[in-house]
Amino acid sequence: MEPTVRTAPIVAEGLVRAFGDVRAVDGIDLEVADGEVFGFLGPNGAGKSTTVRMLTTLLRPTGGRAIVAGHDVVREAAAVRFSIGVALQDASIDPLMTGRELLHLQATLYGIGRRAGRERSDELLERVGLTEAADRLVGGYSGGMRRRLDLALALMHEPSVLFLDEPTTGLDPMSRVNLWDEVRRLNSEHGTTVFLTTQYLEEADELAHRVAIIDHGRIVREGAPSTLKAQVGLPTLLVDVDPGTEDAARSALSTVGEFRPTRAGRVAVGLFEGASGAAEAVRVLDAAGITIHHMELNTPTLDDVFAEATGRRLEGSGEADPT
Amino acid sequence: MTVAVGRRGVPPWPLIRQVLHRSATSLRRIPAAIVPVVVMPIFFTVAFSGTFSGLTELPGYPTDNILNWMVPYACLQSASFAALASAFALGRDLEGGFYDRLLLAPAPRWTVPAASIVWAMIRALLPLSITLALGVLGGITFPGGPAAVWWLAVGSFAVAALGSLWGLGVMYRLQRQSAGGLVQIGLFVVMFLSVGTVPLDLQEGWLPYVARWNPVTYVLDMARAGFIGPVGWSEVWPGLLAITVGGLLLVWWAERGWRRLVP
Ligand SMILES: Nc1ncnc2c1ncn2[C@@H]1O[C@H](COP(=O)(O)OP(=O)(O)O)[C@@H](O)[C@H]1O
Ligand SMILES: [Mg+2]
Repeated sequence: MEPTVRTAPIVAEGLVRAFGDVRAVDGIDLEVADGEVFGFLGPNGAGKSTTVRMLTTLLRPTGGRAIVAGHDVVREAAAVRFSIGVALQDASIDPLMTGRELLHLQATLYGIGRRAGRERSDELLERVGLTEAADRLVGGYSGGMRRRLDLALALMHEPSVLFLDEPTTGLDPMSRVNLWDEVRRLNSEHGTTVFLTTQYLEEADELAHRVAIIDHGRIVREGAPSTLKAQVGLPTLLVDVDPGTEDAARSALSTVGEFRPTRAGRVAVGLFEGASGAAEAVRVLDAAGITIHHMELNTPTLDDVFAEATGRRLEGSGEADPT
Repeated sequence: MTVAVGRRGVPPWPLIRQVLHRSATSLRRIPAAIVPVVVMPIFFTVAFSGTFSGLTELPGYPTDNILNWMVPYACLQSASFAALASAFALGRDLEGGFYDRLLLAPAPRWTVPAASIVWAMIRALLPLSITLALGVLGGITFPGGPAAVWWLAVGSFAVAALGSLWGLGVMYRLQRQSAGGLVQIGLFVVMFLSVGTVPLDLQEGWLPYVARWNPVTYVLDMARAGFIGPVGWSEVWPGLLAITVGGLLLVWWAERGWRRLVP
């Protein structure tokens, strides 16, 4: 069962899951590197949870294969389960138990002895800030507390690979930022590889080293957020000038970028050098004696990446929203 | 911290123990859940014995003490309720997502359904002791000696286990708590259409035909044997056969459902 060659913690090749005629996941290839935070970004119904359930051995693929922590998710499912920590989309917790009881239960499930399990539970409760609430029934926890408990449970056996399915959906901004911090800390201090699904652009942007954008069961873009955004287009610099001086401004800026259509009194230029071209733009405008009334830099977002790939916007409802 | 576990995963028993512990905890948290476990056996014993007490006067009734006839029936009925409770608990876990946590545990997968069955069997101990205690208070006799209690226990555990398998199959297919109603109907029908209240020879119409084909009839005969007379193989083999055949069919039924849950 020991992997002979050191493989990446998560590898998927042509992974497919069909439910009847619906191909929820339609041929996914993935490779997540050791110590990476990998963001799986997509709208509702894109196939994120189905992918997570296959990678975590809860669902059998109908095609392709996946290796997680060096083990095949179908043939060596138990070994995979032992190496991974999972926090599913609907935090799988029992409202009739207390946080501490659930942690003790989790410890037993992973073969951790009574003493060690108790110590580890205390440590985890402290870590996710639930020490006070530990002996209250989970049914009375807030959404953020449930998520944090679920995370603590997933960390019980110090997994090398952590799966988080929409960990912040439905959380208030404060709880969301707390959870982000925790994920970052885990990743930087323990080198835990994190596979995180989300519908939120900022979340993928903030947390993920690399992002795959999934839509209708297929990966439509994959790469570092900055690379993906750069591929969509150059950042656009918008400069408001005195009416009548637009042509002078354009000829001064001709070396820094290409022009985009815009309204009167404004010049829009796609910077060849990216955002760093903004300084040069200011310098040449100043040298040409042009007054700048207002200036802004528009960089593409992951939403622009999504829109470019699918023709729809992810921002807002998360539903199909043709632009 | 290192977790000392072999590469093959964790042994099966911690999961089973943990599930049992948790079930006991939730029973403590919702005390109302204990009511059917305690009240049902009392109700069945008292109601059946009262309602049918005149029956023993009929010629051909195999015992003249109605309790000897009804206590085993009440006991098995209550054991079927233990299976039902286990099905409802399973539905709650499936619906609430807690079941995923168990399925994600590195223990062998079979331990997850096994834990449900073991829990139903443990719960069946309660009605077994309650009905027997009521019986003793009411003057039940043991013509078969200790074997009477032994075969009654075997029958109770079998009904709890087989009933759980039926429940697992239904719940795994429908995956929600409300499906417990279906489990209940199934259990009620087989328990009712057995030789529960009236001996086969005294039943009329189509009932005896159905009862003759109902495996519960033979399990009940076995559980009752020691309360009617001395127990020999001829009294119990049909029951053991019914348990074996029923068990195999229900394992198949539950296994097929399980394949839908973890396909
Ligand atoms: N058990 C299932 N049976 C049938 N269809 C399913 C099942 N699970 C998911 N689907 C379908 O697969 C698609 C992807 O779902 P899911 O993976 O949950 O998306 P996401 O997590 O990205 O919101 C959806 O169209 C959903 O309806
Ligand atoms: Mg989902």
